[in-house]
Amino acid sequence: MFEKVKEMIAQYVEADLSGISDSTRFADDLGFNSYDFMCMLGDAEDELDLEIDEAAAGKLKTVGELVAYLEGLQ
Amino acid sequence: MEKIIGGIKRDCYPLTPAQLVHMYTLKFSPTDEVVNIGTGQFLQCNMNVAALREALNQAIERCESMRMRLWKDPETDELWQYILPYENQYFEYYDFSEWNEDKAHEVLQKWTSQPFDTYRGALSRIVIVSLPNGYNGYYLNVHHVCMDSASVIAFTKDVLEIYCYLMFDKPYPTPMTSYIESVKNDLAYEGSKRQKRDAAFWQAELDRPEPMYTDFTGPGRLQVMRQEKNNPNLRWCVLPTADSAGNTIVYSLDVDSTNKILDFANEHDIPVSAVILHAIRTVLCKFNNNETDITIKDFISRRSTIQNKKCGGVRMHCLPLRTIMPTDTTVLESMRIIKEQQQKVFLHADYSTLRYYYEERMKYGGDPGSNYHSVAFTYQPASAKSIVSYLKGIGFKSRWYSSGRQPQPMYVTAMHRPGDGGLNFYFGYQLESATPEEIEFLYYFTGRVLFRSIENPDKTIQEIMDMV
Repeated sequence: MFEKVKEMIAQYVEADLSGISDSTRFADDLGFNSYDFMCMLGDAEDELDLEIDEAAAGKLKTVGELVAYLEGLQ
Repeated sequence: MEKIIGGIKRDCYPLTPAQLVHMYTLKFSPTDEVVNIGTGQFLQCNMNVAALREALNQAIERCESMRMRLWKDPETDELWQYILPYENQYFEYYDFSEWNEDKAHEVLQKWTSQPFDTYRGALSRIVIVSLPNGYNGYYLNVHHVCMDSASVIAFTKDVLEIYCYLMFDKPYPTPMTSYIESVKNDLAYEGSKRQKRDAAFWQAELDRPEPMYTDFTGPGRLQVMRQEKNNPNLRWCVLPTADSAGNTIVYSLDVDSTNKILDFANEHDIPVSAVILHAIRTVLCKFNNNETDITIKDFISRRSTIQNKKCGGVRMHCLPLRTIMPTDTTVLESMRIIKEQQQKVFLHADYSTLRYYYEERMKYGGDPGSNYHSVAFTYQPASAKSIVSYLKGIGFKSRWYSSGRQPQPMYVTAMHRPGDGGLNFYFGYQLESATPEEIEFLYYFTGRVLFRSIENPDKTIQEIMDMV
C-alpha cells in the first residue's frame, strides 16, 4: 500500500519520491492543500475500490496515517 | 470525432461540464462579453519586445487551450471544440508609458468589454503594453470557455519563464500538459463509477430539508419574493439577472493582516478558504436575523494533479457549500464544520454544476433562476508568487479587468497579490443586485468578523456578531 500511495502522490507533486517515508506530512512537506488531498482520496476510492469516510480521512496528516487508513478499509 | 470545418478535417470534442456553465451564461446574458477575462501582467524592468513576442508565441504553442476554437454544427446545433495547429502570431505593441496610469488601465478595461465572435473567430487577444513607471508586459483578453484564472496564471508563468530563458539564460520551463487529455478525462467521467458515487452524495444533500436563501443585503429581497409569490414560507429567491451589467471593486489587505490569517489557518489546521468562508457565513447570518442555515456557492478550480495544474482550459465547477449551525457554535467549531463540509464537496466536485442546479430546482420546485445562495466565493491560492521568486527584486503588477458584465449577482474572489503575497478581495457584482455602498458594507463587516474571529477563536458566533 505504501508504494501505491507513493504512486498516487507522484500524480500530484513534483517531489523526490525516494525521500517519502511514513512520517512525510502531506501539507507541510509535500505542499498538498485540502483540495489536492481530497482528490487523491477520490483516486484511491477508484483504484482500490473503497469507500472513504470524508470526515475521518480529512484528519489524516502523514503518509503513514493514510497507508494505515487505506489498509484498514481493505 | 472528426468533423469538416471550413473544408478542413478537425478532431472535435464535445464541451466539458465546466465549459457548458459558461455557454449557459452566454445563452442567458444579453451581451457576449460577460464571459471575457481580461488581465494584464507587468514587470518593472526594460522589456525586449521582440523576445516577449517570441515568448508569447512559444507559450501559445505549448498551451493547447489558447488555440482552442468552438464550432456549432449547423445541422444539429451541437457544440464542438477543436485545437488549431500553432501559427506564429504578431502581437501589437501599445506604449502608454507617458500616460496617467489609471487612464491606461481604463483603456485595457475597455478592451475587455469587446466580445468575441464565439463560434467563428479567435477566442483570445494579446497585446504588448508599456505602462508608466517602467512597467512592461502584456494584456490578455480571453473567452472563459478557453481559460479560467488558474489557467491564466499558469500561462503567465510559462510566458515569463520562457522570456527569462530567452533573455537571461535561465532553464527552459517544463512543458505544459495536454488540454485535450484533460477534456478526454472529464468526458470519460460521465457514467463512471466516480460519477455514480458523486451523484449519490449530491442526492443525499438534496434529501435534507429545503435550504434557506440568505441575502448579502439582508432579508428584504426574500421578503419581496415572498410577497410576489404570496407564500410567507418561501425559502428561495430569484435574483435579478436580466441585465448582467456589473462592476468589480477590489479591496487590498495589507501583508501583516494577511499573514495573521495565514498563521491562524496554519496554527489551527484550517484551510484559508474555510477561515474566509466562516467570515462571509457569519455576516450572512448576522444580516439575515441570525439565520442558522447558510449556503454559499463554492467555486472550485479542480486543479490538483500535475496534469490538471498545467493543462490550461477551464475546469471550474461551482457547487453549494451548505452549513447549518446554531449561533452558540464557537468560531473554531464553525471553521471546522465548514472545513469538513468543504472536504465533502471537494471529494464530489467533479459532479456537473448544471446538473446539480437542475436537480435542486426539480427537488424543491423553485422558479427558473431560483437560488438559495446570494454569494459565490473562490479562493485562488495559486498566485504569480512563484513567478516573482524567479525574478527577485523586480516589481510585478498583475491586474484583472472587468468586462463590465457579471455572470453572478455577487462573486467574491480572494487572491494573493504577486508582489507581496497580500490578499486582494475582488467583489464582482451585478449593478441590479447591489450598490457600491452595499459592497463596502459587506467588505467592512466581513473584515471585522474575520479579525474578531481570529483574535477570539473560542468565542461563539453570536458573541462575534455582537462585537461587530
